[in-house]
Amino acid sequence: MRRSLTAGLALATGTILLLDLLILNPSLELLAGGLVELLILLAAAAAVGGAATLGAHHLRDLARGGPDRWGAVTLVGGMGLILVAGLRPGSTGSSDPAVNWLVSALLVPIASSLFALVFLFLLGAVRRGLSIGTREATVTVAAAGVMVVLLLPIGGAPGAGLATAAAWVRDVPLAAVFRGLLIGIAILVSVSAARILLGVGSADD
Amino acid sequence: MSESPRPARRKVVTDAVREAAPVLALLVLLALATLLPPDLAGVALRLESADRTRANGMDAAFDRLPERALVLVAFDADLGTYAEIRPVVRAAIADLQGRGARLAMVSFTAEGRALAVAELSRLQRLGGGVEEIADLGFAGAAEAGLIGAIARIVPSEAEGSIVEAIRSRGADLDAFALALVVSGGDLSVRSWVEQVLPRVPDLPIAAIAPTFLEPELAPYLRTGQLRALLATLPEGLAYADGVAAADGGRTASVGAMPMLVGLLVALGLIVQSLMAPLVRQSRPDRWRRIG
Repeated sequence: MRRSLTAGLALATGTILLLDLLILNPSLELLAGGLVELLILLAAAAAVGGAATLGAHHLRDLARGGPDRWGAVTLVGGMGLILVAGLRPGSTGSSDPAVNWLVSALLVPIASSLFALVFLFLLGAVRRGLSIGTREATVTVAAAGVMVVLLLPIGGAPGAGLATAAAWVRDVPLAAVFRGLLIGIAILVSVSAARILLGVGSADD
Repeated sequence: MSESPRPARRKVVTDAVREAAPVLALLVLLALATLLPPDLAGVALRLESADRTRANGMDAAFDRLPERALVLVAFDADLGTYAEIRPVVRAAIADLQGRGARLAMVSFTAEGRALAVAELSRLQRLGGGVEEIADLGFAGAAEAGLIGAIARIVPSEAEGSIVEAIRSRGADLDAFALALVVSGGDLSVRSWVEQVLPRVPDLPIAAIAPTFLEPELAPYLRTGQLRALLATLPEGLAYADGVAAADGGRTASVGAMPMLVGLLVALGLIVQSLMAPLVRQSRPDRWRRIG
């Protein structure tokens, strides 16, 4: 019963959105617009639910005196700060100057600094991966080494040669593998969608 | 007799310094590299692509814009890859403003909104007499938000001359002469081609994307669904350098020397790590003693 309800909902929603894409009809457009609005609300509810769960988890950690108390304080404090800035009386919400300041002066620089560390973490991972001595790690690191050479920012004829080789690697083998993956994923998604719509489950295999 | 805690503490500090020393040395090296000229020791460095096809494509897309065109900058970069496209995005915004385009910025992802806010406040700080960019805010829910924005992109509380101009043209995506999509991992211009183009076929779309999206997006450029695409650092910098040359160097570019130093350090470490097992095999006794 539950399966047929899900399948029915998916089929009806998909058909309405598809018809709206193909046919110009104001009523259909209104219906499809309503469905999209519902989807946006669902996504917003999921985001709020996720944030609330995260906050609750860390508040519980704080109350129990868990091992990562400073992490929990930082997270809950940060969430509170943004919520107060965006929800206080007179605030304009997500575009409020206080929220914008917190985002541009704190959140983005901190997050960017963390991502800048990826370079160092990658170098550390290379050392550790090779010290384990697996063949896969050696092949991956060797391929990365070749790409680093191809990407060296050198001018003149040698640089042009390296850039041409790098472009070939990107446009031929890499693109082939990437598009193969995309085609594979698309087929899997289609099969999975068809199974949902037809009500075929693992018990039917 | 118990051991004094001072030598133990000193050992902890020494170990920590020894562990952090390579990282600190690398940071100092990169900082020094930013100060060095790009043609040190007669080796000319070049980050930007010699092939300007894609850069010319972006120029051509902007050249086609009418006077005082309304351009939507859909800002959905992600924090992990934005560093790669940041100089190109800044150059494109400066280029569009220099051409007199009226810009409006919108985001459909949370990371994109955070980065858009940072860029908007940077532009506000810079000032420079250019017209302020209209902030259309955050339309969440990624792809669903994008579809929702096709019919209504201006939030009710938004105000300003650019916002009024968009409202007078219907407040939907049809109001714009071009959409410049700043792509990231969560939402790329692929969603625009799949979801927006079938519904708004007359909207020209140009895109700036990090390298990892290039294999996915290049076919859309070949089919004409994208008017222009800059999706690698070298081709982006070829465009950005053109903009910098045109505006007298106001638009900052990326230094090739720190990039070279970083890549050489990475290469040295890779080679050293690859060679270490071979060296260990050829001199087993010594390594055993060290181990």
